[in-house]
Amino acid sequence: MSDADSINLLELDEIKVKLSGLQILDGVTIRVPHGLVTGLIGPNGAGKTTVFNVISGFVKQDSGSVTYDDKRLKHIKAHHLTKMGISRTLQGVGLFSTLTALENVMLGGSAQVRSGILSQSFAMPWTDVETERLRIAAMAALEEMGVADVANRLPSELPYPLQKKVALARALVCDPKLLLLDEPAGGVGAADMADLERLIRSWVPQRTVLLVEHHMELVMSVCDLIWVLDAGKVIAWGTPDEVRNDPAVLAAYLGEDGAA
Amino acid sequence: MTNFIEYLLGGLGSGAIIALMALALVLTWRATRVVNFAQIGQAMFTTFIALTVQEISGSWFVALVAAIAAGALLGVVVQYLVLRPVKRSDTSGAIIATFGVLIALQAAAGMIWGGEQEAYPQPFNTAGISAFGREWPISVYDLVVIGVTIGLVVGLSLLFTRTNLGLSMRATAFNPEVARLSGIRVSRTLTIGWAIAGVVGAVAGVLVAPISTLSPNSFDILLVFAFTAAVIGGLDSLVGAVALGVGTGLVISLVTGYSDSSNAPVVALVLLALNLLLKPDGVFGHTSSRSV
Repeated sequence: MSDADSINLLELDEIKVKLSGLQILDGVTIRVPHGLVTGLIGPNGAGKTTVFNVISGFVKQDSGSVTYDDKRLKHIKAHHLTKMGISRTLQGVGLFSTLTALENVMLGGSAQVRSGILSQSFAMPWTDVETERLRIAAMAALEEMGVADVANRLPSELPYPLQKKVALARALVCDPKLLLLDEPAGGVGAADMADLERLIRSWVPQRTVLLVEHHMELVMSVCDLIWVLDAGKVIAWGTPDEVRNDPAVLAAYLGEDGAA
Repeated sequence: MTNFIEYLLGGLGSGAIIALMALALVLTWRATRVVNFAQIGQAMFTTFIALTVQEISGSWFVALVAAIAAGALLGVVVQYLVLRPVKRSDTSGAIIATFGVLIALQAAAGMIWGGEQEAYPQPFNTAGISAFGREWPISVYDLVVIGVTIGLVVGLSLLFTRTNLGLSMRATAFNPEVARLSGIRVSRTLTIGWAIAGVVGAVAGVLVAPISTLSPNSFDILLVFAFTAAVIGGLDSLVGAVALGVGTGLVISLVTGYSDSSNAPVVALVLLALNLLLKPDGVFGHTSSRSV
């Protein structure tokens, strides 16, 4: 596949991360093209989540660069992500158990709220307008996910697949350009997998998706492009068919014997 | 029976003040998962500031505003300069640090204003109201205190449930990492939580001072009662803090009425011990479960 940087929304160049003396990422270079679903796979401990943590600002790289939307990001702060148009879901659901589904989703749009602390503390009228606008956006996101009817329920009252959808609605409410999905299929049953696949495909090409996933069937069917990590290094990348037949990938997943 | 009702009425005002201080403790707990034992020291310090402003301006209301501003500022300073650096490494260390701040504030107040008991001016009549041919054990001042408490509780409830700031504060307390990813400036939100707690504590200080006295240690007993109320209320619950704060005030009034005021702290500690034995999550607390 030819390298065409101009079409990439996100680029990671030669990222190195050492944590507690271990080289977690060792010169990782990844390209995420606009409007496609890109997968990031690899065996446990390959460094996939660390890649997400570098993009999210939870882990600072020792060297290398992150370029998003043609801008090199120097000091990434997690709370700036949604403003930049990047939304991330976490492994599991990461919903706030004491907030209703609607309130959880409203939080995803927090960065859009412009009124200051004092005006909110004193409940000035324009804060009501903003909160209402956020409520409408959150309801729209819940409707897009088909779970508007559980808006006023607590996450603990919902079955797991619905909790997942609420978490995805929270990621969508800020209208992101780039969605980082950390194991979206985790805990999702076979019956809901086709639904998840259809959902992810429905976001492109308007949005760009980068997902970390262990469920190979989903990865192979939903992704346009796949990057494979092993022991902190990119060992292969390409289309699902290219990756599926790559000897290095087979070796990483099955061991040398299995590959042979 | 008449005595019983009189004791209950007499406990409403002090119960409202305990409720306010318990609210302040709950607010810092909700924000940072730290019980701020310095809260009472902050309230004492801001009440001294209010007393100074009162003496200069002659206005009880101006003094109250000064206490509120000082309470917010002190909350921010303690959270930013003491709690944040300490908590980064150790939560239990942070709790001990709040004791350190309490001692430091009491020492500083002693150096600035002296260790003597000061009288705080009474802005409203504290004598029992006369009505229906008799004097009742509740004063106009008690009614003002109850009114201010209700107003603050309603205001805080609206803030937490109706505004994005309130939502952010609730989310940050639960999971700072996810809150950050949702676009919330977590450290700023925590500081705001401490500022609001500082304001509530400052109001409690200014309200309790006219019916007690003011010295660097005079609010210590209020901390015992407020802590009891906050813990029994569930530590996480605003409603619990208020209900148990008022309840504690009533119990203390009954104990004082039927026996002696010196027994009140013992009763509070017995209630606290019983609560920890029988319902450690508190009356209004809840253990959340999630299906995974």
